Amino acid sequence: MIAIYVCAIIAVYAGLRVVVEKNTMRKLPFLNVVSFAISGTIALLLPHPLTILAAVAYFVGSTLESNAIASTWAGGIRRDD
Amino acid sequence: MIDVVMIASVALLIIGMVATIVNRDPFDKLISLSVLIAGVFPFIIDRGYLDVATATALIAPLSTIFTLMVCRRERA
Amino acid sequence: MIVTPEFVAGMILLIGGTVVTAFPRPKNYVTQLINLEIPGWGLLLVMLHYNESLALFTFAAVSVLSTYIFVRIIQKKEGA
Repeated sequence: MIAIYVCAIIAVYAGLRVVVEKNTMRKLPFLNVVSFAISGTIALLLPHPLTILAAVAYFVGSTLESNAIASTWAGGIRRDD
Repeated sequence: MIDVVMIASVALLIIGMVATIVNRDPFDKLISLSVLIAGVFPFIIDRGYLDVATATALIAPLSTIFTLMVCRRERA
Repeated sequence: MIVTPEFVAGMILLIGGTVVTAFPRPKNYVTQLINLEIPGWGLLLVMLHYNESLALFTFAAVSVLSTYIFVRIIQKKEGA
């Protein structure tokens, strides 16, 4: 029971850090922290065997999204220079 | 649902919505939108719709990737 | 009828996102397209309150498809 509390509190803290941070590139590690914490919350929320599949799916999708944002941002800056 | 998880999810939803509205750069808006999406999934899991959560988690990043096609064109 | 937290959060997202999409602050298409995602997730939470499982599936799929169509329209309009 204490593990899901820790996951939820870490998610809210990392979400606040994402909002407070000014630099765009420094927001992305905290976004990954949010994704990991929500994946842990999903896996611990219900005592059902298929929950781990949903957690894996969310993990893969969120990592793909973060990588797409970072890749596009880096390519855009290189083209401007 | 467990109260702490419910309060954390609602907090993530509100934080993501306010940050998405306030930010002006498209990349900052997309990152904040990702925080908002993270707050939705514990509600879907808590209702027991594991298949819906799996499908939504796999097709939600496609929307962001399609939006990034416009952002790259905007910045270049 | 009991009011669940996903209904309240979904209604906040739906109303706030609709207002922001109607009046975008930097007035361009990209801001409007990103703001359009907010009421989409709010509507998904309201559907979750009424236990509409098939509606959740269909809406999540069609939302991505409509985003792709909007992207193609914006690219065509900016290229012309």
